[in-house]
Amino acid sequence: MNWKHLIASAGVYFRTMAIFIAVWWLVAIWTDNQILLPTPLIVLEAAMDLALDLELFRQAGISFGRMVISTTIASSLAIPLGLAMGLSPLFEKIVDPTIEVLRPISGIAWIPLALFIFGIGNALPVFIMTYAAFFPIVLGTVLGVRTVDRRLIDAARTMGVPQRTIVLRVVLPAAMPSLLVALRVGVALSWTAVVAAELIGAPSGLGYAIEWYRELLMTPQVMSFIAMIGVIGYICDTGVRWLNRRFTPWAAVR
Amino acid sequence: MTPASAATGDAAWKRWVIGLALPLVLLVVWQIVGTTVQGLRTPVPTKIIAAAGIMIASGDLPMAILQSLGRVFAGFMVAAIIAIPLGLAMGYSRAVERNVDPLVESFRPVAAIAILPLAILWLGTGTAAAVMIVAYAAFFPLVVNTVAGAKNVNPTLLHAAATMGISRLTIIRTVVVPAALPSIFVGLRVALAVGWTAIVAAELAVGAKAGGGGSGGIGQMMFIFYAYSIELNRIIVCMISVGLIALVLDRMLRALMRASMPWERA
Repeated sequence: MNWKHLIASAGVYFRTMAIFIAVWWLVAIWTDNQILLPTPLIVLEAAMDLALDLELFRQAGISFGRMVISTTIASSLAIPLGLAMGLSPLFEKIVDPTIEVLRPISGIAWIPLALFIFGIGNALPVFIMTYAAFFPIVLGTVLGVRTVDRRLIDAARTMGVPQRTIVLRVVLPAAMPSLLVALRVGVALSWTAVVAAELIGAPSGLGYAIEWYRELLMTPQVMSFIAMIGVIGYICDTGVRWLNRRFTPWAAVR
Repeated sequence: MTPASAATGDAAWKRWVIGLALPLVLLVVWQIVGTTVQGLRTPVPTKIIAAAGIMIASGDLPMAILQSLGRVFAGFMVAAIIAIPLGLAMGYSRAVERNVDPLVESFRPVAAIAILPLAILWLGTGTAAAVMIVAYAAFFPLVVNTVAGAKNVNPTLLHAAATMGISRLTIIRTVVVPAALPSIFVGLRVALAVGWTAIVAAELAVGAKAGGGGSGGIGQMMFIFYAYSIELNRIIVCMISVGLIALVLDRMLRALMRASMPWERA
């Protein structure tokens, strides 16, 4: 993609967004109610205030930190489990039904029970997000291990490479593309769950901030934080896609 | 399931035993630990089954599930009516895609539950807000998959249709839609799953934050069992119901997919 093309598509982007903002502005003037629908200018002012105050970034940092911790915990549980399931058919037969029974129960449905167990605090959102990210990562790892070329494993075995090394040097790299795609889904799901978890059971974070300002009927602030959720979500997705390209350049990632 | 293991009845039987062993062991351990702890509220499998019986017999659980399902279908239909035509137009015409895509991509990373406060503000704590959340959540997977499907049309077919002087609308109806159908169905499946998760979240959050504003549904039912009576057995019954409904919805759409597209082996 050359720079002329880039400028053209940026032009289209700004044109579309300008139309959207103009429509919003007109509807806001027509509604004439700053609580129901503030004008874009007022929202921008509120966002600037929150940004200068650093509150916007502080709450976003808390939520982002929770997401990173959760996906790290989820990966460190799910990847070894997925590797074991992919490598041993017997182990998979034993564990798979249990996973399939739990998987349809969304992380969000765990919130009331988790509230009772953990109370309101850091543990609740981390638990919910870990749960949400866990299943796609397990399934992606299993899928990745299954697609490993058997001949590579057999070749390594013929050369007397120990099992541990085969897993680390042959299976894991070959399963990597599928694993990173699964990580992308896991990150997206856990970011969706963070808002619900924080809205109900956390004393801080973006979800909490949205709910706090909603109760004060400060709609411009609510909208600023909603936009921040989108921004962080977008950054996370771009980040994981960059990881995909960086670590598995041989796999075709769009 | 590998063909080899399904071939003989004996192997299939063995598979079942191996598969059920771990869940059964876990349930038995849970039951034993739960009864030895003897806490008043400690959930144990037998109590959960009893609670499920009471909740089903009284009609509370089926009613709450029906209410939530009604909202999911309403929101799902709204999303489908907007997203599928839009997706077809975006996939068929490059100009439409270029102009609309920035808007779709800007809102896609915003989680549906995040707009719940706005939905409550605009539509109150009742059904309308819940339907809006489901529609928002279901919209994006539908659009993205429809666009992908509509782009996947064999260009030779498009050229052939154009050569025969068929109008654009007819081309979309007879060439683009059938080609995009498998992808649209994938979108519908994802959208339904996402919508079901969103409704539970929306009802939970409304129950938690809007006071006893009476929105009903399975999500609020769960929250009431937590907040007012701490009945863990009943909360777990609700969780199992949420999982079962998710599974049934997915199976239904898959069956529909096979019935409507026998040529597609998904």
